[in-house]
Amino acid sequence: MKSFYQFDILIDMEEELIGIKNAALSFILEAEDLKSLEDTKLQFLGKSGKLTLAIKEVTKLPIEKRPAFGILANEVKQTIEEALKDKAKSLSAVKRTTLLEKIDVTNPGIKPRLGHLHLVTQAIEEISDIFEKIGFIKVRYPEVEWDYYAFEALNFPPNHPARDDWETFFVDEKESSQYGPMVLTPHTSSGQIREMTTNKPPIKILNIAKCYRRQSDVSHVPMFHQFEGLAINTDLSIANLKGVLDYFVKSYFGNDRVSRIRPYHFEFTEPSFEIDVSCGVCKGRGCKLCKEGWLEMGGAGMVHPNVLKNCGIDSNKFSGFAFGWGVERVLMMKDGIRLDDVRTIYSDRMEFLEQF
Amino acid sequence: MNIKIVDSWLREYLDTKESAVEIAKELSLTSVSVERIEKKDNDSIYDIEVTTNRPDLMSVLGIAREAGAVLKNAKFIDLKTKTPTKSLEQFPIKITSDPKLVNRICAVVLEVEIGDSPKEIKDRLEKSDIRSLNNLIDVTNYVMREVGHPTHVFDFDLLVNKQLNIRESKKGEIVTTLDGKTHVLQGKDIVADDGNGKIIDLLGVMGTANSVVKSDTKKILFFIDNNNPINIRNTSMSLGIRSEAAILNEKGVDPALSLKALLRGIELYEKIANGKVVSEIFDFYPNKPKTVTINVSIEKINKVIGISLDPQKCIEILNNLGFRAKKQNEKIIVETPTIRPDVIMEEDVIEEIARVYGYHNLPSIIPTFLPNKVIGFANSFYYEKRIKTAFKYFGFSEVYTYSLVSESLFDGPIENALKLKNPLSNDMTYLRNSLIPSLLNVIANNKTVDELKVFEIANVYLKRQNDLPKETQMLSGIISKKHASFYEVKGVIEQILGDAGIRNLVFKKSNKSSLGASIYIDKDYLGEIEVLDTNIVDFELNFDTILNHASNTKIFKPFAKFPPVIEDLSVICTFQTQDVINEIKNQSEKIVDVTLRDTYKDSRTFHIIYQDFEKNLTKEEVSKIRENVVKHLEKVFNATIKE
Repeated sequence: MKSFYQFDILIDMEEELIGIKNAALSFILEAEDLKSLEDTKLQFLGKSGKLTLAIKEVTKLPIEKRPAFGILANEVKQTIEEALKDKAKSLSAVKRTTLLEKIDVTNPGIKPRLGHLHLVTQAIEEISDIFEKIGFIKVRYPEVEWDYYAFEALNFPPNHPARDDWETFFVDEKESSQYGPMVLTPHTSSGQIREMTTNKPPIKILNIAKCYRRQSDVSHVPMFHQFEGLAINTDLSIANLKGVLDYFVKSYFGNDRVSRIRPYHFEFTEPSFEIDVSCGVCKGRGCKLCKEGWLEMGGAGMVHPNVLKNCGIDSNKFSGFAFGWGVERVLMMKDGIRLDDVRTIYSDRMEFLEQF
Repeated sequence: MNIKIVDSWLREYLDTKESAVEIAKELSLTSVSVERIEKKDNDSIYDIEVTTNRPDLMSVLGIAREAGAVLKNAKFIDLKTKTPTKSLEQFPIKITSDPKLVNRICAVVLEVEIGDSPKEIKDRLEKSDIRSLNNLIDVTNYVMREVGHPTHVFDFDLLVNKQLNIRESKKGEIVTTLDGKTHVLQGKDIVADDGNGKIIDLLGVMGTANSVVKSDTKKILFFIDNNNPINIRNTSMSLGIRSEAAILNEKGVDPALSLKALLRGIELYEKIANGKVVSEIFDFYPNKPKTVTINVSIEKINKVIGISLDPQKCIEILNNLGFRAKKQNEKIIVETPTIRPDVIMEEDVIEEIARVYGYHNLPSIIPTFLPNKVIGFANSFYYEKRIKTAFKYFGFSEVYTYSLVSESLFDGPIENALKLKNPLSNDMTYLRNSLIPSLLNVIANNKTVDELKVFEIANVYLKRQNDLPKETQMLSGIISKKHASFYEVKGVIEQILGDAGIRNLVFKKSNKSSLGASIYIDKDYLGEIEVLDTNIVDFELNFDTILNHASNTKIFKPFAKFPPVIEDLSVICTFQTQDVINEIKNQSEKIVDVTLRDTYKDSRTFHIIYQDFEKNLTKEEVSKIRENVVKHLEKVFNATIKE
């Protein structure tokens, strides 16, 4: 009756498993926190837990009975594990709710310290991004230059007022026999000569740099920044220049601002233009801050044939346009900035710097 | 240069029904910018900005001619003058001159009655921002504004020697101008003396007190001088006399207008000062302006403007502006008028056509071609932006300080400095060679702020023999707070440069500053960290060196298949941390990383990671390496090891 005896053992063992399951489930049900749930888990599923020990009894069964027991044992184990998991979930949800109740969401956050990029840097980044999108490449050229690059090659006549020492800073160094006196660049246009004497068309560059002029008042600082665009190719026209500046004005100032070009005069461009942008304050109706609804942005023009010639570019074959505008100027023309003295931009007070 | 033009005055020479607003708008778009229109007593006053190449527009007649050309429904009516009937006495004054200094002189003597000007003249002058003084002076100003040529009037009886000797001034000569101010001349001014060396006029800039009309003047010399603009500019700027005459004359006035101005003046003296011409007209005219003929290709016109224009329309525009244009085959032949010496080449003529046609009537076409060079993504501008942004998020604020500094903000002996010849102030005389003094200045200007972290990227300028200075971009910064830490600055530099792909930084005790570090990227010198005092730590790094080493290259290191063994080792010795780390690392290639974990009194704890990428490290292998490390540390550094 070996088999009968063994059958009995199986039933006993199976009943024991069921008993363990029920005991475990009731413990789990009653657990009030994660700690007692963990204790229950150890008590049943731990190394010497009740279920673990009960399963080890499997060796008492003959081989052919073991699978049936195994299946049941697994089911019991899974049931207990799932019950543990579900209970743990609901217990931690309770815990989270209690914690949340303690949070005053209106208390201040813990802020990491944040620095500030200078307004001029921010403007330069905006301007660069805009022009890079339409294929202009950024370049950098010297801030201290020879007269030749700053004036002579740009077609300034010898006695032009910009070349006298009322407007331009001269460096007290020996003159170059070839390039004349040493000056601080009064405009980024010297970069046009640097570019065109070292590079061949097609050219499409953006030069943003510090410039210096001997002036200081509400609209002038002795050191300021200009951004200069230069495009040279076989058949560029005034219409192309208009395309670029309209694109810039819409991108930088917004779609509700419009631009216009008017005749102007510069030595290094012919024809030359002045670019106006409609006033953001009065929306072009005319107010104290603007001129009959317009704000002057800066100059532009078709590159003068003498300038091309000075750079060894055939003006019968190539033409181009250039523009040079003040970074601080366009910054101050933006809607809402409300800066009325350009010198404020160079204030080194944290009270100013930390506003932007 | 700005000029005020009175609307009613303008309409004497401009036949149009357009409103002032419309005239202003059209002028702005096609010619000169009308910045404002002011209303006064039923009249309008235009405030016009005239570009320096167009002194011909600095007058009522100039604007009228231009408006007649650019407005659709307007016609210019030129001023008609008449020459006084001949006879009269010989011109009574001996004028000697130099064609290098003057282009033309027109003069006449009149007997006059001094008094107030009539209301209409006074009003027009005052609306034009010119003070009305008396009829004799008012005529000179009225003519200047109307015709665009400066004029002058002497009290004839004060010219005792009856001689005007026009010459260049000598340095040190003294004049008192009619506003009562005394000036010491720099030389090269155009002056007239009385034949005995006494200066009686500062030509083209301002009259002198010793020859000006007075309340009892009865006889005048009405005098139109057309001068060399270069001398005028020098005089006006060096003496600080920015009279309207000087501003006009330094731009160059058409000498063809001199006589017109004289005749118009005579007419006005006759009308408002009971003037009687008592001499023949003196007209010395050595430098007649040249007119030029320019051939303009019709194809080129269209290419520059960007659309096709009817050649007939171009010719009409040019003729309305006072040019003489005609078509010849595929060209337009253009003869320039004397008032337009600025037009000398094809492009100048194209500008005239384009602007009057209207830039606002041209299309807007973005050129789509690409340039011939490629600068790549991770270029210097990319790293500049990336590094600046990193500083921002590490709590630093960016400043822009002036490149021009005072002697005290220059670092080192002032003989090394590049100096300005013509500084604007003492604060801005030298080109700086370091940003640190400027940044310290920022700290000083923010005394009330407890904790400051600032940085700047800007050029410094180093003198070179017979060449432009070397401009080097520097990246500098300062932390200023109670107990500012060297390690904080070092950590920020390591992180930010690490983010730019630079990891091989070497820090050595600085030779330059008493307390601080010299930093190298491998063997390239990068810059300094300087501990100024317990509250200020600054740094200055060569940004060009950073750019040379910065890298955007990404290299994947395979995941380790076998776990590392990590141990701490406490060492007591006097050597620098980096030396200890190097010594530990050198003992086995299985030591992949060593970092300083902790410092307590004289003991330093190092965190050592052992790893073999081929297999699992056994305890025995690790302890063998460790024993070797300990042995070396004891031997080389005389170190005590705490296990």
